[in-house]
Amino acid sequence: MNIYNFLVAFDSAQPSFDAVKYTASIVRSIPDALITLLFIERLPDKDLFETEKEWRAKCSELSSEYKTTLYKAKTLLLRNGIAENAIEEEYIVSCSSPFEDVKVCSTGQLVASDILRIQKEGHHGTVIIGRQERTKEEEFLFGSISSDILHQFEECALWIVRSEC
Amino acid sequence: MGKTAYDVLQHYLPAFPRKHAGRIITDTTEFMNIDYGDVMLLEGRHYLVTKNLSERRFGLEDPKYWVKRCRALETGEPKIIKLEFYEKFDVTLGSIQSTCYRSPHKESRILRLVKNDMRYMQGETLNDSIGNCVRILDIIYGTELDIAIDRLDMTHEEYFHTAFPEFFAKYIEAVQAIGSLHSHGEQHGDIRRDHLLIESGTGLWRWIDFDYVFGLRGNPFALDLFGLGSILLLLVGMREVTARQLAHPDMAAQLKSPLTADDMALAMPYRLANLQKRYSYIPDRLNNICLHFSAGNKVFYSTVEEFVSSLLTCFHDLPLFNTIRTRYTTL
Repeated sequence: MNIYNFLVAFDSAQPSFDAVKYTASIVRSIPDALITLLFIERLPDKDLFETEKEWRAKCSELSSEYKTTLYKAKTLLLRNGIAENAIEEEYIVSCSSPFEDVKVCSTGQLVASDILRIQKEGHHGTVIIGRQERTKEEEFLFGSISSDILHQFEECALWIVRSEC
Repeated sequence: MGKTAYDVLQHYLPAFPRKHAGRIITDTTEFMNIDYGDVMLLEGRHYLVTKNLSERRFGLEDPKYWVKRCRALETGEPKIIKLEFYEKFDVTLGSIQSTCYRSPHKESRILRLVKNDMRYMQGETLNDSIGNCVRILDIIYGTELDIAIDRLDMTHEEYFHTAFPEFFAKYIEAVQAIGSLHSHGEQHGDIRRDHLLIESGTGLWRWIDFDYVFGLRGNPFALDLFGLGSILLLLVGMREVTARQLAHPDMAAQLKSPLTADDMALAMPYRLANLQKRYSYIPDRLNNICLHFSAGNKVFYSTVEEFVSSLLTCFHDLPLFNTIRTRYTTL
């Protein structure tokens, strides 16, 4: 594992933007650092829609929204002093995507495990994730990816970034 | 000219009064207009509508016009028929608002998945003439879990040492049934005490109603776990043990120690989760499982598999279950 090979788990919510900014502020002084922005796509269940058409339209809307915010995260890194050649993007498509047929995809049910699998495969020595403040009810019902990662994390360094940091 | 409902009824049910014979229905879209005496023709099979069904909620009858009680005319069997109907509504859980959706296609898919598995209701899907997804369900004759418990005429202590051990074993099987749905990527979606029926005769605990789905992408199975926790509290407590009951001076004096907000159930601050405070003979290990659904809990079950594992440890280790264990060797 290379500790200067950073993996930022990004999900387009504000805490993950904050984690991106925090990473830039720490990493910009490190020569030869590499930052990978990881986005794991999660699309709504087909059962939530009356027709296939409505579901596809929503998936399309979300997919382009996610890609736009991932681009914004990259811009944020650039604006905060990270060189373009030090940034990589990895967009993991949802296995239920109606648009993409890829070999590697995420079911969206075990996002923490997916992040850690990519961390190992990519030899990322440092993982960064934003943390949203949640009530206990919210944590129970919506889950907490940062808590799950904290419980499962085994190698090198994990940075959990709170928004007020 | 095609056959009328009366023609069909005369063939299969000659005694059916002519004045009540309705129409032959092939397109079920306008389900509000389908009523007693109408005959639905679905993929060549005839179903006589005998009643619109209602749901019992909080002591009120809530009519569900898309659910009909029917008689399959070719076989004579009574059936429940659910017609294609979509709705979405917000539900509140503590401080959280979430949207719940009704999905006929999800229920159809689960019916196929659980075919011949008697832990769940059974049925099949037929399409009407325009492709509406119509679910034909076998009727389960039985009692909702909460009513079955409510009918027990005994103290909690007596219940806990006589009826509860078997209920707990059955409950574990029911939780495993939900785990099995999850392992196939499906959620029940509406786990409630009245969606678990105790079948008369067989004594089987059977899940019903699979057409709800929640848009919780973070943890799609969390709401099922929440529902299972709520049923566990009901079973262990014999009924809901509420803050109001415990506030009574006589009751307060019986408590092991004063109640705190952490003792109450997650998202249900009126309901006691730390049941050992009320019933001191509840073993720690069992009470600890209940505490996973309390407001004071810090580590939640993230999967039903984890939850089942705790329940099974309890079942195998506690003397309370000694007598029942030999009858549930598969657990």
